[in-house]
Amino acid sequence: MKIVYTDVLVIGGGLAGLRLAIGAKRRGHDAIILSLVPAKRSHSKAAQGGMQASLGNVAKGQGDNEDIHFEDTVRGSDWGADQEVVRMFVNTAPKAVRELAAWGVPWSRVRKGDRQVVINGQKVTITERDEAHGTVAQRDFGGTKKWRTCYVADATGHAMITAVADQAIADSIPVHERKEALALIHDGGRCLGAVVRDLTTGELLAYVAKATAIATGGAGRLYRSTTNAVICEGMGHAIALETGAAALGNMEAVQFHPTAIFPAGILVTEGCRGDGGLLKDAKGHRFMPDYEPEKKELASRDVVSRRMEEHIKKGNGAKSRFGEHLWLDITLLGEKHIHTNLREVWDICHYFLGVDPVKDFIAVRPAQHYTMGGVRTTPTGESPTLKGLFAAGEAACWDMHGFNRLGGNSVAETVVAGMIVGEFIADFCDRAENAATVPVGLVQEFVQREQAKLSAIVDRRSGEDPSTLKLEMQDLMTSCVGIFRTGAELEKAVDGLQKLLARSRNVGVKSSAPGPNPELVTAYRVQKMIKLALTIAYGASVRTESRGAHFRSDFPRRNDAEWLKRTLATWKGDSDTLPTLDYEPLDVKRMELPPGWRGYGAKDYIDHPETPARAALVEGAKATAADRFALQQSLMPYEHLLPPVLRGRNERIDEPF
Amino acid sequence: MDLAQSASGLALGLFMWGHMFFVSTILISKDAMWAVTKFFEGYFFFGTAYPGVVSAVVAGVLVLVMVHAFLAMRKFPANYRQYRAFTGHRALMGHEDTTLWWWQFLTGFALFFLAAVHLYQMLMHPGDIGPYGSADRVWSGRWWPIYLVMLFAVELHGGIGLYRLCVKWGWFEGKDPAASRKRLKTAKWALTVFFLVLGLATLGAYMKIGYEHRDLVGERHTPSWVVPDPKEKAP
Amino acid sequence: MADGQALRKLTIRILRYNPRVPGDVPRLQDYEIEEADGMTLFIALNDIRDRLDGSIAFDFVCRAGICGSCAMMIDGRPGLACRTLTKNLGAVITLAPLPVFELVADLSVDTGKWMRGMSERLEAWVHVKQGEIDLKRIEDRMDPDLAEEIFELDRCIECGCCVAGCGTARMRDDFVGAVGLNKIARFRLDPRDTRTDEDFYELVGDDDGVFGCMSLLACHDVCPKQLPLQTQIAFLRRKMVKQGTLG
Repeated sequence: MKIVYTDVLVIGGGLAGLRLAIGAKRRGHDAIILSLVPAKRSHSKAAQGGMQASLGNVAKGQGDNEDIHFEDTVRGSDWGADQEVVRMFVNTAPKAVRELAAWGVPWSRVRKGDRQVVINGQKVTITERDEAHGTVAQRDFGGTKKWRTCYVADATGHAMITAVADQAIADSIPVHERKEALALIHDGGRCLGAVVRDLTTGELLAYVAKATAIATGGAGRLYRSTTNAVICEGMGHAIALETGAAALGNMEAVQFHPTAIFPAGILVTEGCRGDGGLLKDAKGHRFMPDYEPEKKELASRDVVSRRMEEHIKKGNGAKSRFGEHLWLDITLLGEKHIHTNLREVWDICHYFLGVDPVKDFIAVRPAQHYTMGGVRTTPTGESPTLKGLFAAGEAACWDMHGFNRLGGNSVAETVVAGMIVGEFIADFCDRAENAATVPVGLVQEFVQREQAKLSAIVDRRSGEDPSTLKLEMQDLMTSCVGIFRTGAELEKAVDGLQKLLARSRNVGVKSSAPGPNPELVTAYRVQKMIKLALTIAYGASVRTESRGAHFRSDFPRRNDAEWLKRTLATWKGDSDTLPTLDYEPLDVKRMELPPGWRGYGAKDYIDHPETPARAALVEGAKATAADRFALQQSLMPYEHLLPPVLRGRNERIDEPF
Repeated sequence: MDLAQSASGLALGLFMWGHMFFVSTILISKDAMWAVTKFFEGYFFFGTAYPGVVSAVVAGVLVLVMVHAFLAMRKFPANYRQYRAFTGHRALMGHEDTTLWWWQFLTGFALFFLAAVHLYQMLMHPGDIGPYGSADRVWSGRWWPIYLVMLFAVELHGGIGLYRLCVKWGWFEGKDPAASRKRLKTAKWALTVFFLVLGLATLGAYMKIGYEHRDLVGERHTPSWVVPDPKEKAP
Repeated sequence: MADGQALRKLTIRILRYNPRVPGDVPRLQDYEIEEADGMTLFIALNDIRDRLDGSIAFDFVCRAGICGSCAMMIDGRPGLACRTLTKNLGAVITLAPLPVFELVADLSVDTGKWMRGMSERLEAWVHVKQGEIDLKRIEDRMDPDLAEEIFELDRCIECGCCVAGCGTARMRDDFVGAVGLNKIARFRLDPRDTRTDEDFYELVGDDDGVFGCMSLLACHDVCPKQLPLQTQIAFLRRKMVKQGTLG
């Protein structure tokens, strides 16, 4: 048995994992990154539109700051987020953009003088300040009060991961590519690494580490129609769940992106709407203002996706042989803008739809896009129930997105979480008591257990077909656990998934060829995916309210009185057919922004009994505070939660030091 | 080295164009061709012909050819594995510029021998260049097959080479490099065809003259404006 | 299909070889499938794997033409399978793994290892100025046009098409390829990188670098991102000659 030792084992080579490893390495700890694919091919790459950071450089972003970013994010989350974590995040995001700027990301820059933009379907002239010339530019995104999304044309994630992966190479951080973690090695209380399968040779290895971090991104492939890459199957979530010790938070919170091209499901960025693109129906009518007079196309994603589906249900969808869809119209932005700032969109339309978005409308329909749920951690990124296990990025639930993530907050989270958790993981490794003693017996036991599971699948020649199981699961999730949910459908999903789970325990493959064996990969992954699907469907069926992206047609109101709490799912025993659900209440009395109306979407919700008192207290504080920093400090101090190197205010043109 | 290869290639390429124009003067008249050869032998400067001048030029060209060939060898397949890799690659890709390089390589290889022979001949017998001298060599000396092969080899090699030089160093890129490249390639083919036609015609002319002159091999051309002088015949 | 044509039967001919199976030899295997409207090779290959043969190895990640995983030889030419529509190809489509890169199995090759090796050799990262970056301060300003120019070259997805299409790379293992030369051109352009032409000459001023390139331009012609490789390599060559001759 081959054992690889390291200080920090990072599972996942996307932006969060890379940045986290760089942080640990620069603090003097060895780090190894495991990745299913070469790091630069990770799904972080697909982030198109940009990353939110309140730099306030552009004219339309002037006056922006951490406070406004904080409020937008909490409202976007429908008050499901941990507000302290959101504060940590919004204060670090400008630092992250500036670090990336120094590392070589070619951020699009502000050009002084007049420029034509499209706002609300009208051509408008904006004048950029001379003093902002050459600073990082921002564009508009959904659910934000200011233009805050920093971007590199529409290939932001690509440019970011290129720069960060290059720095990881500069720091000589090894990326063990084509390696998949099959199980975490742990004794119920302490995580010590992972059992890993080499996807080239098929061989099993053990990686032993002081700290193990899961940064594996989302689980979009649980759904049939998703914008996620094919590797986003939630394996990081799953191996954490299978420990029985670590918990997954808010798995029922699944975001659907309004503009996935139809029917392929490939994303076209929110930047299309941010830059002035409009949603239209079969008749060419711009329908969003009818539903959302305030934010129109730029309400949060959960709201826009629901309005689109609602509009289709009313019979306004354009028909095609694959079903119904709506149109995204960016023709009004003009050829030059599309060819420079929305180039990727043009490519995608050209290659996959055969249309030219300069002249034609783009067929779109919402598709699964983001997994708000993840491995539950504290603000330091560590699991509160399994020592030595950390998580960051989409795979984590620390929890800054609550029940709906804002566009542009996802890539921002990856690097910010990498920066913060990287420091905490280094602190963890610095402490002498955390030196990993190598329990060879335990390691051996875990490797043998995984080997036995694989052998059982390979030996079962006439078992269940893995592809069929996967397709049935995806269909069930898409039809019953989608944008609109009801108790009856969710019950059907839970029931169906339990049956699939039972069948998956009998999965077999036709090929026993050594090496990659893709069929075997599907087989062992589908067993895990069905468990994850169950945490979503079961969590959704129990949560009898609507919050953010979780919308129950039979319980359409947000219910703070009963449901202002986070779902925690664990999988206690191997033979269980359902996760165990626990709930962690959110404390209104400690909230800087007490629950209220989001500013878009439904205005109707059930208040938490403590909300009015907290709201009054916050209003009072606003009246007496000396400045915004003092006010913030008085309501919810958070700076002590940040690593020392990341504390401190952010300079802006309008807020010089 | 890349620069030297390119520079020697450029010099040879331009030389070949010039060379082709000079030898093709036969198409105008024997006198014109005679004048050109004598011009190069310094007749109009010194009043007498010094074939040694030609020898010097030829020697220079020969050195250039050697240098060019030596530098270009760096890029050739160095062993059978590389040879197989490239031929397989070329066949599968069906990519024009890649295939052109293969032709450039093959013609270059051929030229290395053909040009060496030709240049050696010129080096040793520079005085034999002339309307009849050349024509006799072509026809009665049975050199025409070599010239025919060499003509195709040179024009392909030179045309492709000069085109490649332009894209290699980014000459004539202009505002739209893609369009420029297309234009360069068209120009390249046009020039190659032009020089091939010119070359074939020229070769034909020499063959015709050589055929008609087959019984008088050794006789030198006398410009029509000069009264024949027996002394002229003995070089 | 939308234009009323009958759907074709497609033959997908795949070069199969698993070096880890003892005695396995490279062979072409045919799979018959029905073409569908808007079918890409991503859809076709997954259809084959789901229904006909679960053992075929190939790589897809984003399936949207942005990650560079799925480059393969499509009818002899390197290209991204995910965004290649079958309707633009004949009824028999031949697929083979990219050459030059180490074969994993069938259509799957290890581009990651090659790219990492190239990056390490060329030190393909921005060499940041010594000293801590002050993250609290406003970022250094950059001309908007320069940022766009850098981005133009930064768009490389390391798919390996340029390397597979390169006659030089096919013959010589140490050639850095257009991907490597483009990276040097990109960092050279970036004022945040502290290196000078002298440093870059050390990295690519030889026959494994820019002087090994034979200007066959297949890289330029097959690049799925339409990077301006022809002009960038020419430009770099001029600069490196200048550096090499004038110092």
